[in-house]
Amino acid sequence: MANSNTADTAVTKTNPVAAFFSALGSNFREIGTTFAKGDWRTKLSYLIMGFGPLLRGQIAKGLGYLIAEGMFLWYMIGFGAQYISKFSTLGTVETQKIHRKTVYGDNSFLILLFSILTIVIICALILLWRMNIRENFIEEKRLREGKPLETNRHFLTSFLDGNFDKTLLALPVLGIFMFTVLPIIFMICIAFTNYDKSHQSPTHLFTWVGLENFRNLFSFGSNGFASTFGTVLTWTLVWAFFATFTTYFLGMAVAMLINKKGIRFKKLWRTILVVTIAVPQFVSLLYVAKMFAGDGLVNGYLLKWGVISQPIPFWTNPTLSKIMIVLINIWIGIPYMMLIATGLLMNIPSDLYESARIDGASPWQMFWSITLPYMLFVTGPYLLTSFTGNLNNFNVIYLLTQGGPTSGRLTGNAGYTDLLVTWLYKMTVTATNYKMAAVIGIMVFLVTAVISLIVYNMLPSVKDEEGFQ
Amino acid sequence: MKKKFVAIMMAAATAGTLLAGCGSAPATDAAKADTAAETAATEAVAAATDAAEAVTEAAEGATEAPAADAGEVPGLVEGDYSTPQEVKVWVADNAVDFTNEQIAEFQKANPDLADWTFTVEPVGEGDAATNVITDVEAGADVYTFAQDQIARLVSAGALEEVAPDNVAWVKAANDEGSVGAATVGDTLYAYPVTSDNGYFMYYDKSVVTDPSDLDTIIKDCEAAGKNIYMEINSGWYNTAFFFATGCTLTYDTDDQGNFTAANVDYATDAGVAALKEMTKLANSSSFQNGSSAGNATNYAVIIDGTWDAESIKQVLGDNYACAKLPSFTTEDGQTYQMSGFGGFKLVGVKPQEDDAKLSVCDALAAYLTSGDVQLARYNAIGWGPSNTTAQASDEVKSDVALTALADQLQYTIPQGQYPSEYWDRAKALGDDIISKTITADASDEDLMAELQTFQDDCISYAQ
Repeated sequence: MANSNTADTAVTKTNPVAAFFSALGSNFREIGTTFAKGDWRTKLSYLIMGFGPLLRGQIAKGLGYLIAEGMFLWYMIGFGAQYISKFSTLGTVETQKIHRKTVYGDNSFLILLFSILTIVIICALILLWRMNIRENFIEEKRLREGKPLETNRHFLTSFLDGNFDKTLLALPVLGIFMFTVLPIIFMICIAFTNYDKSHQSPTHLFTWVGLENFRNLFSFGSNGFASTFGTVLTWTLVWAFFATFTTYFLGMAVAMLINKKGIRFKKLWRTILVVTIAVPQFVSLLYVAKMFAGDGLVNGYLLKWGVISQPIPFWTNPTLSKIMIVLINIWIGIPYMMLIATGLLMNIPSDLYESARIDGASPWQMFWSITLPYMLFVTGPYLLTSFTGNLNNFNVIYLLTQGGPTSGRLTGNAGYTDLLVTWLYKMTVTATNYKMAAVIGIMVFLVTAVISLIVYNMLPSVKDEEGFQ
Repeated sequence: MKKKFVAIMMAAATAGTLLAGCGSAPATDAAKADTAAETAATEAVAAATDAAEAVTEAAEGATEAPAADAGEVPGLVEGDYSTPQEVKVWVADNAVDFTNEQIAEFQKANPDLADWTFTVEPVGEGDAATNVITDVEAGADVYTFAQDQIARLVSAGALEEVAPDNVAWVKAANDEGSVGAATVGDTLYAYPVTSDNGYFMYYDKSVVTDPSDLDTIIKDCEAAGKNIYMEINSGWYNTAFFFATGCTLTYDTDDQGNFTAANVDYATDAGVAALKEMTKLANSSSFQNGSSAGNATNYAVIIDGTWDAESIKQVLGDNYACAKLPSFTTEDGQTYQMSGFGGFKLVGVKPQEDDAKLSVCDALAAYLTSGDVQLARYNAIGWGPSNTTAQASDEVKSDVALTALADQLQYTIPQGQYPSEYWDRAKALGDDIISKTITADASDEDLMAELQTFQDDCISYAQ
């Protein structure tokens, strides 16, 4: 440890990895020296947490540590140990039939879930143990220096005073851990197992398969996912790009149009557009999907009037359905952008336009040099969130086409308008292919994270925070 | 930094204590289970002598059983039912009231079960399998499901075998197709409840001049500007073409519900003929992909099942007519009668950890699928019975749609077990035809290549 510590401190301080190892090193050193130099109370605290503080009269702290350790042991013996001991195999006991009665064996699903929980709890205890050592260290130091220790009353009331933030945050942090962090860790783990329809808990076991699923995702060939993944990913990115920027610019255009001096009934136009927001999206989408179907209203009337002799395959032709999706998204997306843009456009200082006009700028020049930079500056973060939102825009795609049309040329039941996220949904719900769904889930995260980070750093509002002040 | 660290610690500590609290519940549950097991064990010893008697009785019963096979519904086997338990039943939404009534009758017939709780929840036959598999332990104990789900249920361990005592009765009382559909490998896994899950042709008498020929039907409908509905992007409906020309597609399953082999010969001249006819139909300006009468518009022909009979009758009025599927003629002059799947609904029992409850579930499933109840169900909600006695009754025989279905069922193949990937793949094939990825003027070689990949994919699902 001492070695790695010295080696790491030699590296520049800005390197987060080096900083981590150096912090780790100094932690270990402190644990060691505290033990070597500490009195017997401190030494015993290494085994029985909170022992030192208790004997030094720090009842509240000492009891806290002691109870935490007791609870941990009780949890491990009564519950955690039976799961964590099977973590490496995810269970070996098969389900049996005794006469006609079923005796379930190991439940891989629960083993994985509770093992992860137990690992997190073990980590928490290790941190708590480290705090307990630091506490002993501080107490001994204060006593050596002849300073008084913190009183119990003061320690307890601090949770309503100096440490009030911890009291307030305890419940939210716990909630986020239980309902967000734990499931995410669990789902990531699934990507490294063979959990699918033929390895279904509780009757069948599933187990670790390493990187097998990722290999499958990137393998070409009849059952490999690579070419389909490429197709779906490309469409996901193309869709997100068009969905974001068409609504953005058209929404802005509509807002400017309505804002223009001399346009009458401004409120009426705005209301008409906002009505699309008032109708729940899934109702309007399902309705529109039906309207453009082969036997829908649009085709029905066109046929009746003799405009066409064959129904237009709005949803069954891959290219046409992609175009339709983008167009319909414009229809439901414009009102939101129009509302945002209306407010912002009124905020642009009119003296900018006046001086531009005096200098003889054309309307296009004014838009390009004043309106657009200002809008991009203010709505940059909105653009980014709507882009990532569109990457995962389940509603529009699923309600309009369910990802279809599918094709024999795509694997894994994917369709030509499937986004990664709708494909993932199909895999989970209809194909019960949890392992590949988890892999796709990780890919969705990677794509979203990489794009968000790159774009975020390019935003004018991030690069030049004071640009318009 | 340090403050943050402490904050996280505190949160973790509270989390730890809370979770430890959670941990206690399963422990006590386990303790309860243990004591329950002990009492069960002592009871079991006491019941052992009873059981011995029961066995001899059963043996006696077995000798006289074959005579009464088809008639007498197997009741509850003798046993100790003094501890009331809860039995959850899933049926389709429209069958909930009917099932509640029948369960009340069942309890009346079995006074031992007076204190047992039976809850009926509405879960459609299509969703039941997915819901049971998603969480086997929370799933229903007795549930109705569409028979194409059976392999999936068996391989997921969500379906118990039919009690050995009931097997002979089930096989004798129901038609052959439905029994075949309830069998995986050589084991009977479920109780047939309907055999009306097939499709035939509803048509408009004023438009269609000759319901027996597909080409004439297409011409008539194009001339009248009316739609022809057939869901060709479905593995269920597209077999009407493939099985007609003599192609086969079946899967072998073992007793655990795993697919061991695919018997498929789509990549043949017969397959190409069928595929050509499909593209021909899809190319018609009258063609619409779909089979749901509720969503269909302006139609003169719809290939659909008995479940939509009422709504079609309302739309077509006096012109309402039903017939078996038409036949079609290929370029080389061969005529083929369209075929397809015959399908069935089944009642299944979930694997149980308690013998008494298992017996009750079996008895209930047998009761709900008995001839009288099937006939009552037909009268109440119109489900066509699988029980041969119920089928022979006058009420069932006078039904136009059911008669057309009976005609068509002669040409169909009882639907066996198919892996769920097959349905997705068949949808993809249909989508390729509808989206003109496979065009009507494609060469025979191209069509053969499409069918070859389809066939290879089908074979790959059985490994």
